[in-house]
Amino acid sequence: MKVKRLVAAIFLVLAMMVTITGCGGGDDAAKDTGADKEKIFVFARSGDASGLDPINVTDGESLYVTQQIFDTLLEYKEDSTEVQAGLATDWESTKDGREWTLKLREGVKFHDGTPFNAEAVKFNFDRWRDENNPYHHGDFSYYTYMFGGFPGIIEDVVVVDEYTVKFVLTQPQAPFLANLAMATFGISSPEAIKKHGEDYFKNPVGTGPFKFVKWEKDQQVVVEKNPEYWGEKAKVDKVVFRTIPDNSARLMELQAGTIDGMIGLNPDDVETVKNDPNLQLLLRPSMNVGYLAMNTEKEYLKEQKIRQAINYAVNKQALIDAFYAGLAKPAKNPLPPSLWGYNDEVKGYEYDPAKAKALLAEAGYPDGFETTLWAMPVARPYMPQPKEIAQAIQQDLAKVGITTKIVTYDWQTYIEKGENGEHDLYLFGWTGDNGDPDNFLYVLLDKSNTVKGSAGNVAFYMNDRVSSLLVEAQKESDQSKRDKLYKDAQVLINEDAPWVPLVHSTPPIAARKSISGWVPHATGTECS
Amino acid sequence: MTDTTSLQLKANGPQPRTNEKESRGLWADALKRIIRSRISLAGLIIVAVFLLVALFAPLIAPYDPIKDSDLVKRLEAPSDEHIMGRDSQGRDVFSRLVYGARISVKIGVISVGFALVLGVTLGAVAGYYGKWLDGLIMRLMDILLAFPSVLLAIAITAVLGPELRNAMIAIGIVYTPHFARIVRSTVLSVKATEYIEAARAVGCSDLRIIMRHVLPNCIAPIIVQSTLSVGTAILDAAALSFLGLGAQPPEPEWGAMLSDGKSYLQKAPHVMIFPGLAIMFVVLGFNLLGDGLRDALDPRLKQ
Repeated sequence: MKVKRLVAAIFLVLAMMVTITGCGGGDDAAKDTGADKEKIFVFARSGDASGLDPINVTDGESLYVTQQIFDTLLEYKEDSTEVQAGLATDWESTKDGREWTLKLREGVKFHDGTPFNAEAVKFNFDRWRDENNPYHHGDFSYYTYMFGGFPGIIEDVVVVDEYTVKFVLTQPQAPFLANLAMATFGISSPEAIKKHGEDYFKNPVGTGPFKFVKWEKDQQVVVEKNPEYWGEKAKVDKVVFRTIPDNSARLMELQAGTIDGMIGLNPDDVETVKNDPNLQLLLRPSMNVGYLAMNTEKEYLKEQKIRQAINYAVNKQALIDAFYAGLAKPAKNPLPPSLWGYNDEVKGYEYDPAKAKALLAEAGYPDGFETTLWAMPVARPYMPQPKEIAQAIQQDLAKVGITTKIVTYDWQTYIEKGENGEHDLYLFGWTGDNGDPDNFLYVLLDKSNTVKGSAGNVAFYMNDRVSSLLVEAQKESDQSKRDKLYKDAQVLINEDAPWVPLVHSTPPIAARKSISGWVPHATGTECS
Repeated sequence: MTDTTSLQLKANGPQPRTNEKESRGLWADALKRIIRSRISLAGLIIVAVFLLVALFAPLIAPYDPIKDSDLVKRLEAPSDEHIMGRDSQGRDVFSRLVYGARISVKIGVISVGFALVLGVTLGAVAGYYGKWLDGLIMRLMDILLAFPSVLLAIAITAVLGPELRNAMIAIGIVYTPHFARIVRSTVLSVKATEYIEAARAVGCSDLRIIMRHVLPNCIAPIIVQSTLSVGTAILDAAALSFLGLGAQPPEPEWGAMLSDGKSYLQKAPHVMIFPGLAIMFVVLGFNLLGDGLRDALDPRLKQ
């Protein structure tokens, strides 16, 4: 997920897994007692969804919602990123790893009544991977991130019988199953896509535990319980996703009981939540990275020494103490340490302004230079207070002579301009989708993901050696060999320093005490 | 001087004076009246203190407003060393307020100056030449006036880009019609008088007539309007900065400081309270002074 997505997961969780004591609204005791009363869960976050067609979004705010509406072929277990049955119940591959045959769940229907079957799966994949498909509306970023372009490594999708589908790959892909479980690959109703065309992102139809009701831009998205859900049915009748941009305002609403749960808690407010008898604090396991990408195509930043100097100039520990309430670890690699493949032997760059200055002088800029520092406008799980963090980094850089102007745009524009490479220094982050290092390193740092307009690699970092390691790791099925490849790649990345890896955070979540059953998932899109 | 002013002066001092002396008398007289009224005196004092603080900021501020940050001590409550505490970046709030006064002075002077020059020119041209030019200019001013002022300023800043300079331009544009209207109405009433006719008969150019004979009549109302506008300009600029459209971090602009502090309203209210009070007092000061000036310069109120 891109940055945003992390979060997404939430509710469902709530909704579904839960043993509810009262998942209903704030003071739900009252709501719960009457069996006929509607149980509504109101969840708030800082930004609105950018779209509700899961394949065409990369942000947590959108995926949070789509996760409730859509199912994927495979799902992650509640407490890990191991896969389990979703819309597919059984799967097997040929020895060479180039063909996967999936058995689909029978008797499942989309919310609009369209039956779910192998044809529907093929319809979805064909729409995603074929640029000439009449329903290929959008940029389908995630598809290219994970499968390497259009059509990428999925050569063909074959309908074997009504409930069996076969994927033919051009090359084996180790994280293939884990990829299929990503929220972005939710299966849509073919009829709904045909009916709504380009407006499908406003009219999502899936097979999930909740049906889409309405979307009021920048206000709320409402979904209601799907009584015909194939799995465990939702415990609440409705979920409302509200947008409340200001972290403190959101907390005040939570305290007042007008919302039941929220993400994007100011770390400064963690104590407040702990001390409030009506609230509870949940921690999402850490599987993310907050970073400062340096656009390697821009003046100054294209020079390795300068990028290293910036790495030395930023005081990560001070950022963590000040803005994360200690709920984060300083980062030295793009990968979070909880993932296999993490290379702990990489030294990273300690805070050392003197060294930074020396490197700047070596690069020919003893007096520094001027550039722009982009800060996102909304709180992210890996960056709860981007504006303040940007100011602190601005100070750090000023100390070594680099003058920065802080630039910010609304969230959607910020992402678009970043994907277009208009920035210099760019604060961003990522929450893992599937627990595979590929999902961090390939998506965020491979040269194939530097296409302007849909770049996941916002440093526009292009290193052929890194790229060949990453591609090789995708094809390799032996995990110990993959581990080695990823570790080698991290060494090279550290040297080239396309980013300042800032932190791996443990995002705090706040909810009313009356809510139970909300299990935050590491991917941020919990659901479940 | 207009007839009204001379009347006023006569009532005040018995001897007829030359033009130059008369006007000195007017101001001395106005000042006396301001000091006599306690409310406008309060306004004068607030404004004077504000200007002095801005002027001597480096001497008054104990710390650097930007560089002296200490993240470890962020949001520290007011203490002996930091009488207004520290902000979210660990900077001294008092020092930032003091330097912020400079920015506010700049905003007041530049944005109102911009409005003044543009407004007076347009108003004088419209009033003096009349006809279709008058219609065109004043309808344009009416259009500007029809927008809620902050909304218009937001729109202009959004087009120009979020920067303090652009916020000042936006505020200048928003305030232009007020000046244009005042000047035009005075010009209209003066234009028909005999001394203007005489000036024209003697062969004075239009420019000379406008500059030497017409505009001096507008000075009193323009001063009042300028003083009041400085206060509201500071307030509007703070609003724009609060919305992220004006001063950009790390500049210690008061509105931006408010915006920075709003996340800590519950935990560290001092970060927001002091800039809020500063804005309130300065705007109040300019309003009181402006009202006082209006009374002091209005001959009718005197009797």
